[in-house]
Amino acid sequence: MSKRSNKSFWIAFGIVLAALIIAPLVLPEFWRRFLTEILIWGLLAMSSDLLIGYTGMVSFGHSAFFGLGMYGAAAALLTVKPANLWLAILYGLCGSAVVAGFVAFFATRLRDIYFAITTLIFSQIFYVVIFTWTEVTGGENGLNFTRPQLGIPGIYTVTFTPEILHWFVLAVVTASYLILRRITHSPFGMVLQSIRENESRTRAIGYPVERYKIVAVMLSGLFAGLAGVLYAVQNRFAAPDFVYFVVSGEAVIYNVMGGIGTLVGPILGAGFFLGLREISSRIFGDQFPYLIPVGVIFIAMVIFLPQGLLGFAKRWLNR
Amino acid sequence: MSDNDPVDPIEGLWHARKVTRRRLMGYGVATAGALGATMVVPAPWRAAFGQAKPYKIGSLQPLSGVAAAGGKTSLVGVQMAVDRINKAGGINGRPVELIVADDESKPDVGRRKVEKLLVEDKIDVHAGGFLSNVCLACMPSYEETKVVNMITVCLDTTITTSKCSRYTFRPFDYAPAQAVAIAPYLVNKLGKKWHIAYLDYSWGQSTRDAYTEQIRKNGGDVVGTTGIPLGTADMTAFLSKITGEFDGIFGILFGAPAVTFLSQAYDLGLSKKYKMAGDGAMVEATHMPALGQKAEGFVGINRYLPVLDPPLNTPYHKRFFEDAVARLKQIDPSGPLPDRYTQSNYEAVNALRIGMENSKFRGREDTMKLIEALEGLEMKEGDDFPQGDKLLRKEDHQAFLRQFIFDVQDGKHRILEVVEKEKTIVPPACTFS
Repeated sequence: MSKRSNKSFWIAFGIVLAALIIAPLVLPEFWRRFLTEILIWGLLAMSSDLLIGYTGMVSFGHSAFFGLGMYGAAAALLTVKPANLWLAILYGLCGSAVVAGFVAFFATRLRDIYFAITTLIFSQIFYVVIFTWTEVTGGENGLNFTRPQLGIPGIYTVTFTPEILHWFVLAVVTASYLILRRITHSPFGMVLQSIRENESRTRAIGYPVERYKIVAVMLSGLFAGLAGVLYAVQNRFAAPDFVYFVVSGEAVIYNVMGGIGTLVGPILGAGFFLGLREISSRIFGDQFPYLIPVGVIFIAMVIFLPQGLLGFAKRWLNR
Repeated sequence: MSDNDPVDPIEGLWHARKVTRRRLMGYGVATAGALGATMVVPAPWRAAFGQAKPYKIGSLQPLSGVAAAGGKTSLVGVQMAVDRINKAGGINGRPVELIVADDESKPDVGRRKVEKLLVEDKIDVHAGGFLSNVCLACMPSYEETKVVNMITVCLDTTITTSKCSRYTFRPFDYAPAQAVAIAPYLVNKLGKKWHIAYLDYSWGQSTRDAYTEQIRKNGGDVVGTTGIPLGTADMTAFLSKITGEFDGIFGILFGAPAVTFLSQAYDLGLSKKYKMAGDGAMVEATHMPALGQKAEGFVGINRYLPVLDPPLNTPYHKRFFEDAVARLKQIDPSGPLPDRYTQSNYEAVNALRIGMENSKFRGREDTMKLIEALEGLEMKEGDDFPQGDKLLRKEDHQAFLRQFIFDVQDGKHRILEVVEKEKTIVPPACTFS
């Protein structure tokens, strides 16, 4: 990246960040909560972009990482009194890391469609376990819990208002973006991109490809788990539906809509898709099958904007 | 680019300027105009009520996704009640505006839609909720905004026990009450030893436990259980293991899995060898065409049956039945009969109306008065409650109502016994926080 485009990037980054900081102060209550939720789903999509866009591995296991992050947070919030936010994050990250490590160990031995199918199968295994193990996971009904306070219990805490929650989520998502950006720009990230371009050649020049792929899956799973923790904190419940592979599919859709291999694109894609669904439901009414227009627009986007919204915007700006 | 270069069709379409800015603006204006036109058309209740501020009743239903079929029949019940209330002069002289939201059968969408109903549409009360996981995910939102939530279908026991809420009411039955109602019949008239087959997830598991307890309490025994995972298309592997010395199989299933279960049990000869019984949801009227002769002799329990036999041969039930049949035909030309979802949604809105009138409810500021009016509410059989009398218990906001033990004869439900609501009572297990 040239010095000039680098400067432009940081200016644009600052403007968007400032807008997102101000947003909860000016948006109506519903849209404020909705924006916070978009950031969380955006984080999930961004985590899967590390695999899809940078390593060339389409994962349908992200629902398992997201869900385990969610259930990990639930375990901390239900068992430890008083509820501790940092412990919820720690439990959630541990849960998703263990699952990601397990999935990565087996799935990274395979490539392309076989990798995708294996991750899908793993996510379904975790789904069935969570769905049927009612005594521990609450089964189909999931688990409900109270939202922890922000701060260190016993020293200083502040209750989460919708604004504070939004800023907290924004801080986590921004930090995650900067970390993932650093990773993708590092030599490690270059190797991942090399694997995406030509796995055999990367192996031939001496890189232990399997190890790189395992680390990529684990890193991706960790950030997906973090998104799960944030969702649990925002909505105060964990449900097996979030472990179902459809959630992974939605993360892939956000990537395709926003622009694969851009990190920011998937967040944009999540915002666009969820916003489109909401607007469609308002225009057509909930008694109309309003998801049909959403599907038609998605198909049109895949055909006419194959590089996603960010790719299209870049091309538009460069004209 | 030279003239001979191949043109990318996508690029070509874009640069051909078929979609011009002017045209795009034109489409936008036309769309906005169409939307605006729909907004200026007055709501149907406007003519009758003039400028009276309407009560806003929100209704979250699964109109798409896995539970869409049930969600649509549920919505018919809500619409029937709202139309009838508006025709009769509204509530406290004010009309009722129904705001419907589709939860897509997903808890995250349900949560988001409920937040829209509560913070943007500013509903006064809510009547709806079909899938228990969606109901449970949304319950904290009603508490937070202090809005009464009248659940209309969600069956999970914990809604009025361990996870009960001061703001949530269930004006229909739940598994423990049904188990208390049917267990004496099962043990004394059908057989002492039972095998329970259930859908292996929280609803199936908790219902299995309730029936096991009551069968044993009445002197019978449950000699085995078989859990069938939800989504199992072929149940032969599970059904072929159900063998041994017992009198009957009690099924706890619903929807398509129930149809598969009964069909395959018949094909494997289980229906001939054992007595078949189970939850009324296994043989809803909508299942009958698919089941044919395979459900003959099945004995079940349900709070509602689409029949006009005694004691459901009342003029109010006939009116409810005919209105429901006509409306259901509009959404499904095959003409399904009303089911318990239509009935419970219809009656839930009527219970809300009575509570709102008794408490002189003006809006959310009177939520506590409304809660107090609903707690212990006695609902009398009539046009509001064609299913029969009910009591909405104060301690846990759980209703108790009469149950129908029935069997299937010639593809139709036949009432065998009516269990009055007093004989379905189970002790409350709820502590409001």
